[in-house]
Amino acid sequence: MKDNYFLAKWLNGEITEDELLKHVSEEELRTYKKIVSTTKNLKTPNFNTEENLEKIKATKVKSKVKKLSLFKYPFRIAAMLAVLISSYYFITNKTTSYTSNLAEKTTFELPDNSKVELNADSEITFKAKNWKNARELNLKGEAFFSVKKGSKFTVNTTLGAVSVLGTKFNVVVRDTYFEVNCYEGLVSVQYNNEVIKVPLGSSFKVLNATSEFSDSNTETKPSWLQNNSSFKSMPYKYVIKELERQFNITIVYDLKNENTLFTGNFTHTNLEMALKAISIPLNLEFKIISNQKVSLY
Amino acid sequence: MTPKSENGFCDDKNFSEFFRNHSKLLNNYIFYKCGNIDLANDITQDAFIKFWNNCKKVIPNKAKSFLFTIANNLFLNEYAKSKVVLNYRIIPKLNHTNESPEFLLEEKEFGDKLQKALANLSEPQRIAFLMNRIDGKKYKEIAEILDISIKAVEKRIHNALLNLRKEIDHI
Repeated sequence: MKDNYFLAKWLNGEITEDELLKHVSEEELRTYKKIVSTTKNLKTPNFNTEENLEKIKATKVKSKVKKLSLFKYPFRIAAMLAVLISSYYFITNKTTSYTSNLAEKTTFELPDNSKVELNADSEITFKAKNWKNARELNLKGEAFFSVKKGSKFTVNTTLGAVSVLGTKFNVVVRDTYFEVNCYEGLVSVQYNNEVIKVPLGSSFKVLNATSEFSDSNTETKPSWLQNNSSFKSMPYKYVIKELERQFNITIVYDLKNENTLFTGNFTHTNLEMALKAISIPLNLEFKIISNQKVSLY
Repeated sequence: MTPKSENGFCDDKNFSEFFRNHSKLLNNYIFYKCGNIDLANDITQDAFIKFWNNCKKVIPNKAKSFLFTIANNLFLNEYAKSKVVLNYRIIPKLNHTNESPEFLLEEKEFGDKLQKALANLSEPQRIAFLMNRIDGKKYKEIAEILDISIKAVEKRIHNALLNLRKEIDHI
């Protein structure tokens, strides 16, 4: 029979020796009996029940104390929280920055897909983690923004703050010169505790602490995006500085001209053309001394 | 086996009683598996600690098999981690009778053969067989502990005996 475990049954006293002999030989039976009698006398390692029970109870008590001790020491919890909180702030307060070098322009997107184009030698910093709650960034230099519609978008500069809800605008901050140009929608500029609304086609300009509002702008984009810098009644020193930034050069010129007002434009692609554009109106000549140096006289 | 108080196995008295009734068997069970006394002891300790930590979840009539399952899992983890060298050894009881030297020698030889044959049994067969022979457990109890049918226990014991006899007679 397939499922007849006669040996197990015999061992358990369910069948007799005679019945078992139907399945096994006498010889085999003798071995089985010997196995059974010998295994009965086998000994396993000593196990001290009480001692082990005490050990377990001791670990149980210990683990209880451990749990309590955490709450006994408020300093530990305070330290833990301090680490958590400071790491949280570290993460959320981490600032992201984008910079453009001399003679270089950069384009990038903000976390909400708003587009920023940075003119040469400019920098933007913001908190990426907190962007959803506050669309706010700091600007040094010049940048053109195409802002996606949404919550208030603020550009902080050393001279004033510009806030919008979603438009295209350009902001420049260089030394004491601050200008905001609006190319779409409406921009509000906060300057000296005053709020100035700058609508489409208008600009707000601050130069040496005197502000000026104009609404004669017909361009759809700032000229520098087309590799061209244009100026309207700008002191000559700002024009020179912009040229230095765009070509990464140093210009030596007569300082008596630094406040002369200049109107005109220069290209960013050809140094000689650009130098001609700024020297001819003032009856000056230029000389390229080296890769890095130009003299105007 | 059924806890008397409301707290079940979380009650100190019930737990102690449960421990006294089953710790030795559990220790032997692990020992039958691996033949390592220290490991068996450690696992017995850990299994009971785990059992106590989960005392609220224990269903009284499944307590025993739950305990053995914990121990088995602990053993498998430990075994997998450290690859314990199987050093299977059961100490035969010393015969203190006035038998003849020839008989004693024969006994010793048989003991050695049996030792080897036991080590060569498959683990389930060895455990079921030794639980019955050494710990004196009934088939029904073994079935309960190992969470298998009585028929399966019979099969394991039957095959254990068969294999032991074959191995001893052929050596």
